Amino acid sequence: MQCVVTGGNVKVLAKAIHSLSRIGDELYVEPQQDGLALRSVNSSRSAYACFLFAPLFFSRYSLPNGHDFRCKMAIKSVQSVFRSLATLEKTVEKCHIELDEQKNRLTFTLHCKHGLLKTHNLSYQDSESLQAVFDKEGCGNVFRAQPRLLVDTVVHFPPSLEEVSVSVSDNRMWFRNHVDEEERSKAMVTELCLASDEFDHFAVHAHNSVTFCLKELRGLLVFAESTGLPISMYFDEPGSPVVLSVTDSVLEGNFVLATLSHDDHSFQKNNTKGAPTAPPPPLDDFMNDDMDPYLIAMDTSMAPGTPEASSALTVCSPPQTPAANHSTRLHCEEEEEEEEETVDSDRPPNKKFRSLFFGSVFPSQMSTQPLPDQDVLASDSEEDDS
Amino acid sequence: MKFRGKIIDIACLNHFSRVVTTIAKLTKTCVLRLTPDNLFFVLSGKVANGGVSMWCELSQGNFFDEYQMEGVSSEDNEICLELSPENLSRALKTVQNAKSVKVKLTKKHCPCVTVSAELPTLSSVSRVVTHDVPVEVIPRRLWHELKEPSVPDFHVSIYLPPLKTMKNVVDRMKNLSNFLVVEANLNGEMNLKIETDLVSVTTHFKDLGNPPWGGGSEGGADPEGMAEARVDIRRLQQFLMGQQVTPTKAMCNIVHQRILHLVVLHDDASLQYFIPAVA
Amino acid sequence: MPLSTQSQDDNDEQYILVASLDNARNLSNILKAIAFKDHAIFTATPNGLKVTVEDSKCLQANAFIQVEIFQEFTIKEDLVGFQVNLTVLLDCLNIFGGSTAPGLSTALRMCYRGYGYPLTLFLEEGGVVTVCKINTQEPEEPIDFDFCSSNVINKVILQSESLKEAFSELDMTSEVLQITMSPSQPYFRLSTFGNSGNAHYDYSKDSDMMELFKCTTTQTNRYKMLLLKPTTKALALSCKVSVRTDSRGFLSLQYMVRNDDGQICFVEYYCCPDEEVEEE
Repeated sequence: MQCVVTGGNVKVLAKAIHSLSRIGDELYVEPQQDGLALRSVNSSRSAYACFLFAPLFFSRYSLPNGHDFRCKMAIKSVQSVFRSLATLEKTVEKCHIELDEQKNRLTFTLHCKHGLLKTHNLSYQDSESLQAVFDKEGCGNVFRAQPRLLVDTVVHFPPSLEEVSVSVSDNRMWFRNHVDEEERSKAMVTELCLASDEFDHFAVHAHNSVTFCLKELRGLLVFAESTGLPISMYFDEPGSPVVLSVTDSVLEGNFVLATLSHDDHSFQKNNTKGAPTAPPPPLDDFMNDDMDPYLIAMDTSMAPGTPEASSALTVCSPPQTPAANHSTRLHCEEEEEEEEETVDSDRPPNKKFRSLFFGSVFPSQMSTQPLPDQDVLASDSEEDDS
Repeated sequence: MKFRGKIIDIACLNHFSRVVTTIAKLTKTCVLRLTPDNLFFVLSGKVANGGVSMWCELSQGNFFDEYQMEGVSSEDNEICLELSPENLSRALKTVQNAKSVKVKLTKKHCPCVTVSAELPTLSSVSRVVTHDVPVEVIPRRLWHELKEPSVPDFHVSIYLPPLKTMKNVVDRMKNLSNFLVVEANLNGEMNLKIETDLVSVTTHFKDLGNPPWGGGSEGGADPEGMAEARVDIRRLQQFLMGQQVTPTKAMCNIVHQRILHLVVLHDDASLQYFIPAVA
Repeated sequence: MPLSTQSQDDNDEQYILVASLDNARNLSNILKAIAFKDHAIFTATPNGLKVTVEDSKCLQANAFIQVEIFQEFTIKEDLVGFQVNLTVLLDCLNIFGGSTAPGLSTALRMCYRGYGYPLTLFLEEGGVVTVCKINTQEPEEPIDFDFCSSNVINKVILQSESLKEAFSELDMTSEVLQITMSPSQPYFRLSTFGNSGNAHYDYSKDSDMMELFKCTTTQTNRYKMLLLKPTTKALALSCKVSVRTDSRGFLSLQYMVRNDDGQICFVEYYCCPDEEVEEE
């Protein structure tokens, strides 16, 4: 394999690798007929991302002779090739990527200003094909927005926030930080509402709410912002993945993120599935100054000691969701050996990681074998017959 | 018990946000006390037990375009809420370019101070963001702990040098020592001193001036005589770190070997900070 | 602005060394370039001040501040030596924040009375005076690396800009930095051997960043990465750097540093090679 990247595309490539590093620790490299595929998946298999750079992205693109090749390597080491991201555009004129199968290494050569030549010989491991099972075209809810809109949206959430919930109605989209049940009384809740006409495309099929990790979205935003590409978002129901993509004529990037299998109680209530005509979540309507519904009915005289203040608060928190609410598609990380899908109902419902398992809502069209682990979204099983 | 306020003026919003950020630098939690005329941020550490205390007073009319409240009762027309100033500061910071911001007491999953803002967009509909800052309502019977601290019977009162200069000096001294001695006299002189096994450093400020209310209640005190307080450097550093705007007046009162009382006055806000002296 | 408190009770007569600077940054900046250990040996002669910092008997850094840099430099003996804590000294020199704003500088007067006495600094900015007394110790004897120019085999002078990029990108998982200097390809090469592979940075001898290229014999030497890491502080401040190796493989890095007033000072690092390397 030999690829040559020149000019501004070096930075595009570097930014793509950088955003993939937000997903997982390893970069899967696969030169294909239709371009160079760079992929990554996180350790719990709840987030997967793939960039495909078409042959036209390169000033030269040639495949390894006569056989399929794929490998994986530490993403950090590839990032270090493009360490000075900010000055990359000014310093690097040309980047060669060359495969040396004899020495088991992938060589990145950067031709820089002032005749400086940087050669990075990175060792790799052979790997299976990393393929995710997702079908964004089949999603009912489809949106497209300029990166700035989403950048301006996530800025309202603290960098430490892990998960964000997105819910939609016919002409509105709400972003809300996801707060675990036990933290509800002390966590700040932020909600942002976007109108449909802020989007380039806004098609809602079901009034659903999905919760997914913010870190990966931020990773893609960095890429989308630097390349100026609009972001498309596809999702269906809670538990099935959300897909975020960027596309132009020479590249395509897809980020596939698991969503919470069943959302927290209050959200579920407001977004009943199968009731697309249900009113949107009660919004704190800004123009309506009626504050009475929000009054705090707190009888301080009744409180004989300090703890009462807090006991008064617990009244407001919703009752615990019964375990019966569990989706049958839940999958448990600790039980990586695949088990019957309903066994996890004895797990504590508040376990944080429940959010991070992919429910396989898609028939495994891409897999020809009825593997028991078809729920796992990204599969790198040694059989690459997909 | 109801509270609702609205800020339209962007300068007021920025200023309010800065005040809250200053508070957030000083303490993780504090009490927000609302009265018909004022807002107070209160931290009532027991100086005697080595805790710091803080009293910040804002006149609501200087910040809010609309301000309505109903206290616990008509006799006790006040509301006291414990909250994280950091949360409030973050909420206000993200709405700096808002067309208007409302601050309300709301009942959500728990009692909250809700900051909601209408953000400008290119579309016909505004973008609306709401931040629910959880609060704990302080019952009436605990209010007595939230009274304004009386100005201590200090030995010396002196105006502070430019806070930025003071911050630079204190930041460096912090690298060298954990404790710092502030000493001042009625002759407009103030010294910041540290001493360790490796080094002794003294910074001399002079011609600072003394506020007219003077000091030394017993009178006839030696103008050259220094009153001093040895304090935990981090406390002083925290205080200086939070001062983002040059105040109208900044001064400090020293109760010899007992308390360092720092006072910062702005046109529409004042902040008092009490740091206990250590032996 | 004169140092108002310079000698009320301290009579200059009692000092064996008095040095003044209108801008304390001219001293603090160059000391930052060698601040990788606390102990610093000060050696003052009528020619100026030399400050030495060492690590593991394998690395030595010297900063030279010539007498011309000082507005006043009075020394009553041929040689005055003492040792102070450099971190403490730097905090003292920057007590007012070390502002780079024009028209605002910290004036410095540095006095030493002799063995057993502290190093006394008078610093003044905007009418505020700080007095620092830093304890001193008897100076240790600096290591003699015996690096003399007659034994130099290879030498290049580069604009620092180009080396800064390389040093900022160095693979720190590599234990060593290997330097190859050669009259033929690859001319001047920096190599690392890290967890995930190796990297080579080749500088062409014809590059416009290369001010001087004088390599006579191909030489490849390895130096401990951890030892060389502090040199990036000097590199960051410098405008040019000279890289030399002698017949034993010892490395000399000389950095030319321009101060706020456009004057030139020098910082020099010596480093022992890590091991003999078979030439490839």
